[in-house]
Amino acid sequence: MGLKRVTQRGALHLSLIVIVVWSVLPLLWTFQTSIKFTRDVASRVPVLWGYDTTAAAYRAYWFDDQTTNMWQVLLVLLVSIALITSLAIVSRRSKRPWIWHLLVVASIIASLAYVSRSFDTSDQFRFLINSLVVTVATICVSIGIGLFGGYGLARYSGKSGAGILIAALAFRALPRFAFVLPFFIIAKYLGLLDSRAVIVLALVAVNQPFTIWMLRTFFLEVPKELEEAAMMDGATRLQAFLRVVIPTMKPGIIATSLFTLLLAYNEFLFVRVLAPTNWTLPVGIVALAGGESSKGIAEAAAAAVSITLPIVVVIVLFQKHLVKGLGTGAVKG
Amino acid sequence: MDRRSFTFFVLPSVSVMTMLMVVPLGTTIWLSLTDLLLRDLDNSSFIGLANYSEVLRDPAFWRATRFTLAFVAITVPIEMTLGITFALLLDRVGRGRSIYLAAILLPFIVTPVVGTLLFRNLFSRGGLVSWLIELVTGTPFVIDGSNVRFLIMLHAVWHVTPFAFVAVFAGLQTLPQERVEAAAIDGGKFREIFWHVTIPHLKSILFFVAIISIMDSYRVFDSVFVFAGNRFDDSHTLSVYNSVVALDAKIGRLGKGHAIAVLTVIGIFAALVPFLVRSYKEQIADRT
Repeated sequence: MGLKRVTQRGALHLSLIVIVVWSVLPLLWTFQTSIKFTRDVASRVPVLWGYDTTAAAYRAYWFDDQTTNMWQVLLVLLVSIALITSLAIVSRRSKRPWIWHLLVVASIIASLAYVSRSFDTSDQFRFLINSLVVTVATICVSIGIGLFGGYGLARYSGKSGAGILIAALAFRALPRFAFVLPFFIIAKYLGLLDSRAVIVLALVAVNQPFTIWMLRTFFLEVPKELEEAAMMDGATRLQAFLRVVIPTMKPGIIATSLFTLLLAYNEFLFVRVLAPTNWTLPVGIVALAGGESSKGIAEAAAAAVSITLPIVVVIVLFQKHLVKGLGTGAVKG
Repeated sequence: MDRRSFTFFVLPSVSVMTMLMVVPLGTTIWLSLTDLLLRDLDNSSFIGLANYSEVLRDPAFWRATRFTLAFVAITVPIEMTLGITFALLLDRVGRGRSIYLAAILLPFIVTPVVGTLLFRNLFSRGGLVSWLIELVTGTPFVIDGSNVRFLIMLHAVWHVTPFAFVAVFAGLQTLPQERVEAAAIDGGKFREIFWHVTIPHLKSILFFVAIISIMDSYRVFDSVFVFAGNRFDDSHTLSVYNSVVALDAKIGRLGKGHAIAVLTVIGIFAALVPFLVRSYKEQIADRT
């Protein structure tokens, strides 16, 4: 390798490292804050290394009873998650793996509910459960409906299909305030304010245009001959769709689910308007982050890290699908 | 597929969008013509276009409009330029790609209100960047009305750039290598290849990213609300201004709030109509 190539490679990696620092520094700094003692948080000159660490801020965020043994809670959670995951791995040969995946998610929520009942957890722990329930429900409903719509739009060649697609694109552009106030008024009259159902409904609605567009592009990649062959063998179109087409759509379903997950988990405005008390994590952290005291800053930092961690895990696991999803969606869209 | 099965398949999606988007939108338009108040939802009367003329004479509305447009015009081009740059750089890396990729994607998945908090921690007293600025200039950085707009935009660039990046990066993976090599053999410099081969290949992706980013930046709410919500009135975007008018416990004017929402919708549609017409024609052309 020539000297010139070595310097080029060095410059390339150097610039990428600068980009990585720009991307991760905000989170790293807040992570540091979250594990510091208040005297170090309060220091005007940042304490960058050599400080003692503490989990006090995390305890303050998740529990009302500050003597709770967090390790005990973590152990309960880890054991249940390990049991659930091994169950999922054993059941992998099942014909309908998605039933098992849903079961795993439901068990994780159930074990969190168990922890919240047996320990003196804070409101934020309740918001975590709300966040998970709302996110999972939004994904299921929105993909469940969107698969039908996306398939219809991919296979039908009439003009009304184009009309629906363009209307959906126009809806994608609307600001939240075009819907949220009527939602609020209607939910109030129906007594649904503060329920998770109304948040899920609102999220499914705003997410539907994007969902059908993205799923449609994935359906376009599935060859027509596949379902035509099944229909020749006597299956109805619905049967062909459910038994032959859907099983080939796994990458598309995962990619669309990831974007839906980000939308639902991160939503702030709908929850703030439609749920006076029964919040999800983003509204919870904003209520918490107003304080200027060092203790408050550390607790908000712990909150920020705690909220970010679950999505980081999910996205790292499915990173490839995210990239591929955007690639497919963008090229054809 | 015949028309009947098409109707069957799209019915759930279309009814969700009709009931939960078209109907609320119609309600919004209707209520914008009334004097509905947050604290008294049972009584309201029809007042015609009075809310609209009030909004259009409200200096806060024009301030919010100016800042929203400036926000879109400044952040979207920066995000796209940075996204393309990051993607071109990463595309040249062989080993270690997925680690770089994960790190660059991180800001995209961080919840916007959380990301705002991360930036506040860096820039407030005792924060790393605030301290670095003090080292250089002698005075510590304090978030105030004069710089909060800069922080709002900085956070937006941090949060949205990975979206442009990942779309362009995915597009580069399908760039036909023969054409790049052919251009290189013809003696093309990097810049020529970039403008004549890479950019044309990415055209539809860049268009897609630009449209999505413009839509999302135009209605930006979360981060601006947290940064400037009740402290810096002159750094409100249209959505935040809308929320203050409609939902503030003391003001709570739903009628006027609905009028602002309708005007915001008209604004984005005015910008998007040429694009929507073009997409519709493309869709029709694809079908014949």
